[in-house]
Amino acid sequence: MKRIIPLVIIVVAYVLFLVFMVAPSHGHHEGGGVGELVTGHLTDHVIEHTHVNPHDNILLKQLKGINNAIAHVNETVLSEKLLGIFDMRITKWVMMMWLAGLMGLGIFIPLAVQIKKAKMGSESRWVNWWESLIQWVHEEIVEPNFEGKYAKKATPYFLSLFFFILFCNYLGLVPGMATATGNLAVTGGLAVLTLIGIIGVGVIKQGPLWFYKGTVPHGVPFVLGIMLLWPIELIGLIIKPFALTIRLFANMTAGHVVILIFIYLVMMFNSYFVGIGSVVMSLMIYALEMLLVAWLQAYIFTVLSAMFIGSSLHAH
Amino acid sequence: MEFLKEGLLRVDPGLLLWTIITFIVMLLVLWKAAWRPIVDSLDARAEKVRFEIDNAERTRLEAEKLLAQHKAMMDNAKNEAAQVISKGRDEAEKIKNEIVDKANAESRSIAERAKKEIELAKDKALADIKTEVVVLSTEIASKIISKNIKAEDQKALVEEALNKIGTVQ
Repeated sequence: MKRIIPLVIIVVAYVLFLVFMVAPSHGHHEGGGVGELVTGHLTDHVIEHTHVNPHDNILLKQLKGINNAIAHVNETVLSEKLLGIFDMRITKWVMMMWLAGLMGLGIFIPLAVQIKKAKMGSESRWVNWWESLIQWVHEEIVEPNFEGKYAKKATPYFLSLFFFILFCNYLGLVPGMATATGNLAVTGGLAVLTLIGIIGVGVIKQGPLWFYKGTVPHGVPFVLGIMLLWPIELIGLIIKPFALTIRLFANMTAGHVVILIFIYLVMMFNSYFVGIGSVVMSLMIYALEMLLVAWLQAYIFTVLSAMFIGSSLHAH
Repeated sequence: MEFLKEGLLRVDPGLLLWTIITFIVMLLVLWKAAWRPIVDSLDARAEKVRFEIDNAERTRLEAEKLLAQHKAMMDNAKNEAAQVISKGRDEAEKIKNEIVDKANAESRSIAERAKKEIELAKDKALADIKTEVVVLSTEIASKIISKNIKAEDQKALVEEALNKIGTVQ
Protein backbone atom coordinates (compact mmCIF):
# COMPACT_ATOMS: atom_id res chain seq x y z
CA MET A 1 0.00 0.00 0.00
CA LYS A 2 2.78 2.39 0.93
CA ARG A 3 4.43 1.75 -2.43
CA ILE A 4 1.23 2.32 -4.36
CA ILE A 5 0.43 5.79 -2.99
CA PRO A 6 3.49 7.53 -4.45
CA LEU A 7 3.00 5.68 -7.70
CA VAL A 8 -0.58 6.90 -7.96
CA ILE A 9 0.48 10.42 -7.11
CA ILE A 10 3.20 10.35 -9.77
CA VAL A 11 0.80 9.05 -12.39
CA VAL A 12 -1.82 11.66 -11.54
CA ALA A 13 0.77 14.41 -11.58
CA TYR A 14 2.03 13.24 -14.95
CA VAL A 15 -1.47 13.20 -16.38
CA LEU A 16 -2.14 16.69 -15.08
CA PHE A 17 1.11 17.85 -16.58
CA LEU A 18 0.15 16.48 -19.97
CA VAL A 19 -3.27 18.07 -19.70
CA PHE A 20 -1.62 21.46 -19.50
CA MET A 21 0.40 20.70 -22.57
CA VAL A 22 -2.69 20.10 -24.65
CA ALA A 23 -5.02 22.54 -22.95
CA PRO A 24 -6.05 25.30 -25.35
CA SER A 25 -4.44 28.62 -24.63
CA HIS A 26 -6.70 31.42 -23.57
CA GLY A 27 -7.38 34.28 -25.92
CA HIS A 28 -6.09 34.79 -29.43
CA HIS A 29 -2.47 35.75 -29.68
CA GLU A 30 -2.40 36.74 -33.31
CA GLY A 31 -3.41 40.29 -33.92
CA GLY A 32 -3.28 41.19 -30.21
CA GLY A 33 -0.36 43.26 -29.00
CA VAL A 34 2.26 42.37 -26.43
CA GLY A 35 -0.31 43.08 -23.74
CA GLU A 36 -2.61 40.41 -25.09
CA LEU A 37 0.25 37.95 -25.32
CA VAL A 38 1.45 38.54 -21.79
CA THR A 39 -1.97 38.48 -20.22
CA GLY A 40 -2.89 35.40 -22.26
CA HIS A 41 0.03 33.58 -20.68
CA LEU A 42 -0.21 34.96 -17.20
CA THR A 43 -3.93 35.00 -16.50
CA ASP A 44 -6.20 32.27 -15.38
CA HIS A 45 -8.70 30.55 -17.62
CA VAL A 46 -11.30 27.92 -17.06
CA ILE A 47 -10.61 24.45 -18.46
CA GLU A 48 -12.84 24.16 -21.54
CA HIS A 49 -13.74 21.48 -23.99
CA THR A 50 -11.08 20.79 -26.55
CA HIS A 51 -11.72 19.29 -29.93
CA VAL A 52 -10.61 15.66 -30.21
CA ASN A 53 -8.99 15.24 -33.59
CA PRO A 54 -9.55 11.75 -35.04
CA HIS A 55 -5.91 11.70 -36.18
CA ASP A 56 -4.52 12.19 -32.64
CA ASN A 57 -2.69 9.24 -31.15
CA ILE A 58 -4.32 7.20 -28.39
CA LEU A 59 -2.46 8.93 -25.56
CA LEU A 60 -3.40 12.37 -26.77
CA LYS A 61 -7.01 11.27 -27.22
CA GLN A 62 -7.15 10.03 -23.65
CA LEU A 63 -5.51 13.18 -22.32
CA LYS A 64 -7.97 15.31 -24.21
CA GLY A 65 -10.65 13.05 -22.75
CA ILE A 66 -9.47 13.88 -19.22
CA ASN A 67 -9.42 17.55 -20.13
CA ASN A 68 -12.94 17.27 -21.48
CA ALA A 69 -14.07 15.39 -18.38
CA ILE A 70 -12.89 18.26 -16.20
CA ALA A 71 -14.60 20.66 -18.58
CA HIS A 72 -17.75 18.59 -18.27
CA VAL A 73 -17.58 18.80 -14.46
CA ASN A 74 -17.10 22.55 -14.84
CA GLU A 75 -20.18 22.82 -16.97
CA THR A 76 -22.43 20.63 -14.88
CA VAL A 77 -21.54 20.38 -11.18
CA LEU A 78 -19.60 23.60 -10.76
CA SER A 79 -21.43 25.82 -13.20
CA GLU A 80 -23.45 27.58 -10.51
CA LYS A 81 -21.68 30.23 -8.51
CA LEU A 82 -21.21 29.18 -4.89
CA LEU A 83 -23.14 31.65 -2.68
CA GLY A 84 -23.45 33.82 -5.75
CA ILE A 85 -19.85 35.01 -5.44
CA PHE A 86 -17.47 32.14 -5.82
CA ASP A 87 -17.01 30.85 -9.31
CA MET A 88 -15.74 27.40 -8.46
CA ARG A 89 -15.06 26.19 -11.98
CA ILE A 90 -11.72 24.41 -12.20
CA THR A 91 -9.17 26.56 -13.95
CA LYS A 92 -5.63 26.04 -15.08
CA TRP A 93 -4.43 27.82 -11.95
CA VAL A 94 -6.45 25.49 -9.72
CA MET A 95 -4.87 22.55 -11.49
CA MET A 96 -1.42 24.06 -10.93
CA MET A 97 -2.12 24.35 -7.24
CA TRP A 98 -3.31 20.77 -7.13
CA LEU A 99 -0.15 19.76 -8.87
CA ALA A 100 1.94 21.67 -6.31
CA GLY A 101 -0.07 20.07 -3.50
CA LEU A 102 0.38 16.62 -5.01
CA MET A 103 4.10 17.29 -5.34
CA GLY A 104 4.13 18.07 -1.65
CA LEU A 105 2.29 14.87 -0.79
CA GLY A 106 4.37 12.80 -3.22
CA ILE A 107 7.63 14.05 -1.77
CA PHE A 108 6.98 14.38 1.92
CA ILE A 109 4.86 11.36 2.77
CA PRO A 110 7.43 8.82 1.51
CA LEU A 111 10.09 11.04 3.07
CA ALA A 112 8.37 10.79 6.45
CA VAL A 113 8.38 7.00 6.14
CA GLN A 114 12.06 6.96 5.28
CA ILE A 115 13.04 9.39 8.02
CA LYS A 116 11.07 7.43 10.56
CA LYS A 117 12.74 4.23 9.45
CA ALA A 118 16.30 5.57 9.67
CA LYS A 119 16.82 6.33 13.34
CA MET A 120 20.40 7.48 12.92
CA GLY A 121 19.76 9.51 9.79
CA SER A 122 19.37 8.26 6.27
CA GLU A 123 22.29 7.96 3.91
CA SER A 124 20.19 8.85 0.90
CA ARG A 125 21.00 12.25 -0.61
CA TRP A 126 17.38 12.78 -1.54
CA VAL A 127 16.26 12.36 2.06
CA ASN A 128 19.07 14.47 3.44
CA TRP A 129 18.38 17.26 0.97
CA TRP A 130 14.74 17.58 2.00
CA GLU A 131 15.63 17.02 5.63
CA SER A 132 18.07 19.90 5.62
CA LEU A 133 15.43 22.10 3.94
CA ILE A 134 12.90 21.16 6.61
CA GLN A 135 15.47 21.84 9.31
CA TRP A 136 16.24 25.18 7.70
CA VAL A 137 12.58 26.22 7.66
CA HIS A 138 12.26 25.05 11.24
CA GLU A 139 15.33 26.90 12.49
CA GLU A 140 15.34 30.04 10.34
CA ILE A 141 11.64 30.75 9.96
CA VAL A 142 9.73 29.25 12.87
CA GLU A 143 12.15 29.17 15.81
CA PRO A 144 13.06 32.89 15.81
CA ASN A 145 9.38 33.89 15.86
CA PHE A 146 7.83 31.29 18.12
CA GLU A 147 9.35 30.25 21.38
CA GLY A 148 9.40 26.89 23.07
CA LYS A 149 6.37 24.70 22.68
CA TYR A 150 4.69 26.99 20.16
CA ALA A 151 7.48 26.44 17.66
CA LYS A 152 6.64 22.78 17.41
CA LYS A 153 2.97 23.49 16.97
CA ALA A 154 3.54 26.14 14.33
CA THR A 155 6.14 24.26 12.30
CA PRO A 156 3.72 22.17 10.17
CA TYR A 157 1.81 25.23 8.97
CA PHE A 158 4.91 27.12 7.90
CA LEU A 159 6.51 24.06 6.34
CA SER A 160 3.36 23.56 4.26
CA LEU A 161 3.20 27.23 3.35
CA PHE A 162 6.85 27.40 2.36
CA PHE A 163 6.82 24.28 0.23
CA PHE A 164 3.46 25.06 -1.34
CA ILE A 165 4.66 28.47 -2.51
CA LEU A 166 8.03 27.04 -3.51
CA PHE A 167 6.48 24.30 -5.62
CA CYS A 168 4.03 26.74 -7.21
CA ASN A 169 6.89 29.09 -8.06
CA TYR A 170 9.02 26.35 -9.54
CA LEU A 171 6.19 24.70 -11.44
CA GLY A 172 5.51 28.07 -13.01
CA LEU A 173 8.99 28.00 -14.45
CA VAL A 174 8.32 24.77 -16.34
CA PRO A 175 7.43 25.68 -19.93
CA GLY A 176 3.76 25.07 -20.64
CA MET A 177 2.77 25.38 -17.00
CA ALA A 178 1.53 28.41 -15.14
CA THR A 179 2.68 30.23 -12.04
CA ALA A 180 -0.15 29.86 -9.58
CA THR A 181 1.50 32.35 -7.22
CA GLY A 182 1.52 34.94 -9.99
CA ASN A 183 -2.15 35.58 -9.40
CA LEU A 184 -3.66 37.99 -6.91
CA ALA A 185 -6.40 35.56 -5.91
CA VAL A 186 -3.91 32.82 -5.00
CA THR A 187 -1.51 35.05 -3.07
CA GLY A 188 -4.54 36.75 -1.57
CA GLY A 189 -5.89 33.41 -0.41
CA LEU A 190 -2.63 32.57 1.32
CA ALA A 191 -2.46 36.04 2.85
CA VAL A 192 -6.03 35.66 4.12
CA LEU A 193 -4.87 32.55 5.93
CA THR A 194 -2.07 34.59 7.48
CA LEU A 195 -4.58 37.25 8.55
CA ILE A 196 -6.79 34.58 10.06
CA GLY A 197 -3.68 33.24 11.81
CA ILE A 198 -2.80 36.67 13.23
CA ILE A 199 -6.30 37.32 14.51
CA GLY A 200 -6.92 33.75 15.64
CA VAL A 201 -3.67 33.44 17.57
CA GLY A 202 -4.18 36.88 19.11
CA VAL A 203 -7.71 36.14 20.24
CA ILE A 204 -6.91 32.64 21.53
CA LYS A 205 -3.66 33.50 23.32
CA GLN A 206 -4.55 36.96 24.63
CA GLY A 207 -8.31 36.79 24.90
CA PRO A 208 -11.02 38.48 22.84
CA LEU A 209 -9.92 41.88 24.12
CA TRP A 210 -6.80 41.43 22.01
CA PHE A 211 -8.60 43.34 19.26
CA TYR A 212 -8.21 46.47 21.33
CA LYS A 213 -5.44 45.73 23.85
CA GLY A 214 -3.15 43.95 21.46
CA THR A 215 -3.29 46.68 18.89
CA VAL A 216 -3.39 49.91 20.89
CA PRO A 217 -0.34 50.75 23.07
CA HIS A 218 -0.75 50.84 26.86
CA GLY A 219 -1.38 54.09 28.64
CA VAL A 220 -3.37 55.68 25.85
CA PRO A 221 -6.67 57.27 26.94
CA PHE A 222 -9.55 55.10 25.85
CA VAL A 223 -11.32 57.74 23.76
CA LEU A 224 -8.12 58.60 21.91
CA GLY A 225 -7.39 54.91 21.51
CA ILE A 226 -10.75 53.99 20.07
CA MET A 227 -11.03 57.11 17.92
CA LEU A 228 -7.54 57.40 16.49
CA LEU A 229 -5.07 54.65 17.28
CA TRP A 230 -7.31 51.64 16.95
CA PRO A 231 -8.39 52.44 13.36
CA ILE A 232 -4.77 53.07 12.42
CA GLU A 233 -3.64 49.82 13.98
CA LEU A 234 -6.54 48.03 12.30
CA ILE A 235 -5.45 49.41 8.95
CA GLY A 236 -1.91 48.25 9.78
CA LEU A 237 -3.27 44.80 10.49
CA ILE A 238 -4.99 44.67 7.12
CA ILE A 239 -2.01 46.13 5.29
CA LYS A 240 0.30 43.34 6.44
CA PRO A 241 -1.41 40.54 4.47
CA PHE A 242 -2.14 42.99 1.66
CA ALA A 243 1.58 43.68 1.32
CA LEU A 244 2.23 39.93 1.36
CA THR A 245 -0.28 39.48 -1.44
CA ILE A 246 1.15 42.19 -3.66
CA ARG A 247 4.78 41.28 -3.01
CA LEU A 248 4.51 37.64 -4.00
CA PHE A 249 2.20 38.37 -6.94
CA ALA A 250 4.32 41.20 -8.30
CA ASN A 251 7.60 39.33 -7.95
CA MET A 252 6.35 36.18 -9.60
CA THR A 253 4.53 38.05 -12.37
CA ALA A 254 7.26 40.56 -13.16
CA GLY A 255 9.86 37.91 -13.99
CA HIS A 256 7.49 36.11 -16.31
CA VAL A 257 6.43 39.33 -17.96
CA VAL A 258 10.06 40.20 -18.63
CA ILE A 259 10.78 36.72 -20.01
CA LEU A 260 7.73 36.88 -22.29
CA ILE A 261 8.52 40.37 -23.52
CA PHE A 262 12.08 39.40 -24.36
CA ILE A 263 10.71 36.49 -26.36
CA TYR A 264 8.13 38.78 -27.99
CA LEU A 265 10.91 41.06 -29.19
CA VAL A 266 11.90 38.33 -31.68
CA MET A 267 8.44 38.44 -33.22
CA MET A 268 8.40 42.23 -33.17
CA PHE A 269 11.69 42.73 -34.97
CA ASN A 270 11.80 39.57 -37.10
CA SER A 271 15.60 39.56 -36.80
CA TYR A 272 18.09 36.85 -35.91
CA PHE A 273 20.33 39.29 -34.06
CA VAL A 274 17.53 40.48 -31.88
CA GLY A 275 16.61 36.82 -31.46
CA ILE A 276 20.01 35.85 -30.14
CA GLY A 277 20.12 38.82 -27.78
CA SER A 278 16.59 38.46 -26.49
CA VAL A 279 16.82 34.70 -25.96
CA VAL A 280 20.05 35.14 -24.01
CA MET A 281 18.45 37.88 -21.95
CA SER A 282 15.31 35.90 -21.28
CA LEU A 283 17.43 32.89 -20.29
CA MET A 284 19.31 35.07 -17.83
CA ILE A 285 16.06 36.31 -16.34
CA TYR A 286 14.85 32.70 -16.25
CA ALA A 287 17.97 31.65 -14.37
CA LEU A 288 17.49 34.55 -11.97
CA GLU A 289 13.90 33.45 -11.33
CA MET A 290 14.99 29.87 -10.90
CA LEU A 291 17.96 30.44 -8.62
CA LEU A 292 16.82 33.40 -6.62
CA VAL A 293 13.33 34.81 -6.96
CA ALA A 294 11.27 31.62 -6.73
CA TRP A 295 13.23 30.69 -3.63
CA LEU A 296 13.45 34.08 -2.05
CA GLN A 297 9.77 34.95 -2.44
CA ALA A 298 8.68 31.68 -0.84
CA TYR A 299 11.05 32.42 2.03
CA ILE A 300 9.93 36.03 2.40
CA PHE A 301 6.23 35.19 2.35
CA THR A 302 6.72 32.46 4.95
CA VAL A 303 9.06 34.36 7.23
CA LEU A 304 6.84 37.45 7.23
CA SER A 305 3.78 35.33 7.96
CA ALA A 306 5.69 33.72 10.83
CA MET A 307 6.71 37.14 12.17
CA PHE A 308 3.17 38.50 12.01
CA ILE A 309 1.56 35.45 13.57
CA GLY A 310 4.35 35.03 16.12
CA SER A 311 4.10 38.65 17.22
CA SER A 312 0.43 38.26 18.13
CA LEU A 313 1.34 35.48 20.59
CA HIS A 314 2.30 38.07 23.22
CA ALA A 315 1.36 41.60 24.02
CA HIS A 316 4.10 43.96 22.92
CA MET B 1 -4.89 49.19 -19.65
CA GLU B 2 -8.18 47.37 -19.88
CA PHE B 3 -6.36 44.04 -20.32
CA LEU B 4 -4.54 44.57 -17.01
CA LYS B 5 -7.74 45.13 -15.09
CA GLU B 6 -9.49 42.19 -16.68
CA GLY B 7 -6.35 40.02 -16.77
CA LEU B 8 -3.38 40.40 -14.50
CA LEU B 9 -4.99 42.36 -11.71
CA ARG B 10 -8.30 40.51 -11.60
CA VAL B 11 -9.07 38.85 -8.29
CA ASP B 12 -11.29 35.85 -8.84
CA PRO B 13 -13.06 34.93 -5.57
CA GLY B 14 -13.50 31.36 -6.75
CA LEU B 15 -9.77 30.96 -7.26
CA LEU B 16 -9.18 32.52 -3.85
CA LEU B 17 -11.46 29.95 -2.27
CA TRP B 18 -9.85 27.15 -4.25
CA THR B 19 -6.44 28.33 -3.01
CA ILE B 20 -7.57 28.18 0.60
CA ILE B 21 -9.22 24.79 0.12
CA THR B 22 -6.22 23.30 -1.70
CA PHE B 23 -3.76 24.66 0.80
CA ILE B 24 -5.75 23.53 3.82
CA VAL B 25 -6.22 20.05 2.42
CA MET B 26 -2.52 19.81 1.71
CA LEU B 27 -1.73 21.20 5.15
CA LEU B 28 -3.98 18.73 6.95
CA VAL B 29 -2.81 15.69 5.00
CA LEU B 30 0.85 16.60 5.35
CA TRP B 31 0.38 17.50 9.01
CA LYS B 32 -0.90 14.03 9.78
CA ALA B 33 1.18 12.04 7.35
CA ALA B 34 4.44 13.89 7.03
CA TRP B 35 5.25 16.87 9.24
CA ARG B 36 4.48 15.36 12.58
CA PRO B 37 6.57 12.19 12.11
CA ILE B 38 9.34 14.13 10.40
CA VAL B 39 9.53 16.85 13.03
CA ASP B 40 9.25 14.29 15.81
CA SER B 41 12.03 12.13 14.49
CA LEU B 42 14.22 15.13 13.70
CA ASP B 43 13.65 16.44 17.21
CA ALA B 44 14.41 13.02 18.64
CA ARG B 45 17.58 12.83 16.62
CA ALA B 46 18.63 16.33 17.63
CA GLU B 47 17.94 15.41 21.25
CA LYS B 48 19.96 12.26 20.86
CA VAL B 49 22.87 14.07 19.23
CA ARG B 50 22.80 16.67 21.99
CA PHE B 51 22.76 13.92 24.58
CA GLU B 52 25.63 12.13 22.88
CA ILE B 53 27.66 15.31 22.72
CA ASP B 54 27.00 15.99 26.39
CA ASN B 55 27.91 12.43 27.17
CA ALA B 56 31.12 12.66 25.17
CA GLU B 57 32.01 15.88 26.96
CA ARG B 58 31.36 14.29 30.31
CA THR B 59 33.37 11.23 29.38
CA ARG B 60 36.21 13.41 28.17
CA LEU B 61 36.26 15.35 31.43
CA GLU B 62 36.21 12.11 33.37
CA ALA B 63 39.02 10.70 31.30
CA GLU B 64 41.03 13.85 31.85
CA LYS B 65 40.45 13.60 35.57
CA LEU B 66 41.47 9.97 35.56
CA LEU B 67 44.56 10.79 33.55
CA ALA B 68 45.52 13.50 36.03
CA GLN B 69 44.96 11.06 38.87
CA HIS B 70 47.08 8.49 37.13
CA LYS B 71 49.83 11.01 36.57
CA ALA B 72 49.75 11.98 40.21
CA MET B 73 49.82 8.33 41.21
CA MET B 74 52.71 7.65 38.89
CA ASP B 75 54.63 10.59 40.34
CA ASN B 76 53.89 9.39 43.85
CA ALA B 77 54.99 5.89 43.00
CA LYS B 78 58.21 7.18 41.47
CA ASN B 79 58.92 9.26 44.54
CA GLU B 80 58.12 6.38 46.79
CA ALA B 81 60.30 4.04 44.82
CA ALA B 82 63.15 6.52 44.96
CA GLN B 83 62.62 6.89 48.69
CA VAL B 84 62.53 3.15 49.16
CA ILE B 85 65.69 2.73 47.17
CA SER B 86 67.55 5.44 49.01
CA LYS B 87 66.28 4.19 52.34
CA GLY B 88 67.34 0.67 51.43
CA ARG B 89 70.74 1.90 50.42
CA ASP B 90 71.13 3.78 53.70
CA GLU B 91 70.04 0.81 55.70
CA ALA B 92 72.32 -1.50 53.79
CA GLU B 93 75.18 0.91 54.42
CA LYS B 94 74.34 0.99 58.11
CA ILE B 95 74.06 -2.76 58.31
CA LYS B 96 77.31 -3.18 56.45
CA ASN B 97 79.05 -0.77 58.78
CA GLU B 98 77.59 -2.50 61.78
CA ILE B 99 78.65 -5.86 60.52
CA VAL B 100 82.14 -4.66 59.80
CA ASP B 101 82.38 -2.95 63.19
CA LYS B 102 81.07 -6.02 64.93
CA ALA B 103 83.45 -8.24 63.04
CA ASN B 104 86.31 -5.93 63.88
CA ALA B 105 85.35 -5.88 67.55
CA GLU B 106 84.94 -9.60 67.65
CA SER B 107 88.22 -10.27 65.99
CA ARG B 108 89.88 -7.93 68.42
CA SER B 109 88.23 -9.60 71.40
CA ILE B 110 89.12 -13.05 70.03
CA ALA B 111 92.73 -11.99 69.67
CA GLU B 112 92.67 -10.58 73.18
CA ARG B 113 91.19 -13.71 74.57
CA ALA B 114 93.67 -15.85 72.73
CA LYS B 115 96.49 -13.78 74.14
CA LYS B 116 95.06 -14.10 77.64
CA GLU B 117 94.60 -17.78 77.23
CA ILE B 118 98.14 -18.17 75.99
CA GLU B 119 99.33 -16.15 78.99
CA LEU B 120 97.28 -18.26 81.32
CA ALA B 121 98.49 -21.46 79.71
CA LYS B 122 102.07 -20.28 80.01
CA ASP B 123 101.59 -19.39 83.70
CA LYS B 124 99.90 -22.66 84.29
CA ALA B 125 102.65 -24.54 82.47
CA LEU B 126 105.29 -22.74 84.53
CA ALA B 127 103.48 -23.52 87.76
CA ASP B 128 103.12 -27.13 86.68
CA ILE B 129 106.78 -27.28 85.86
CA LYS B 130 107.61 -25.76 89.26
CA THR B 131 105.54 -28.32 91.11
CA GLU B 132 106.94 -31.05 88.92
CA VAL B 133 110.41 -29.81 89.72
CA VAL B 134 109.65 -29.73 93.44
CA VAL B 135 108.22 -33.25 93.25
CA LEU B 136 111.17 -34.46 91.19
CA SER B 137 113.63 -32.82 93.47
CA THR B 138 111.86 -34.19 96.53
CA GLU B 139 111.99 -37.65 95.01
CA ILE B 140 115.59 -37.18 94.12
CA ALA B 141 116.24 -35.92 97.64
CA SER B 142 114.45 -38.87 99.21
CA LYS B 143 116.44 -41.23 97.06
CA ILE B 144 119.59 -39.52 98.10
CA ILE B 145 118.50 -39.48 101.75
CA SER B 146 117.72 -43.14 101.60
CA LYS B 147 121.35 -43.68 100.58
CA ASN B 148 122.46 -41.87 103.81
CA ILE B 149 124.09 -38.91 102.80
CA LYS B 150 125.53 -36.45 105.19
CA ALA B 151 123.69 -33.45 106.32
CA GLU B 152 126.08 -31.07 104.59
CA ASP B 153 125.94 -33.06 101.49
CA GLN B 154 122.22 -32.98 101.52
CA LYS B 155 122.28 -29.28 102.05
CA ALA B 156 124.67 -28.84 99.28
CA LEU B 157 122.53 -30.99 97.03
CA VAL B 158 119.37 -29.05 97.81
CA GLU B 159 121.08 -25.79 97.09
CA GLU B 160 122.55 -27.13 93.98
CA ALA B 161 119.18 -28.39 92.88
CA LEU B 162 117.56 -25.06 93.77
CA ASN B 163 120.17 -23.20 91.85
CA LYS B 164 119.68 -25.41 88.90
CA ILE B 165 115.98 -24.76 88.98
CA GLY B 166 116.68 -21.12 89.31
CA THR B 167 118.82 -21.15 86.26
CA VAL B 168 116.24 -23.20 84.35
CA GLN B 169 113.74 -20.65 85.19
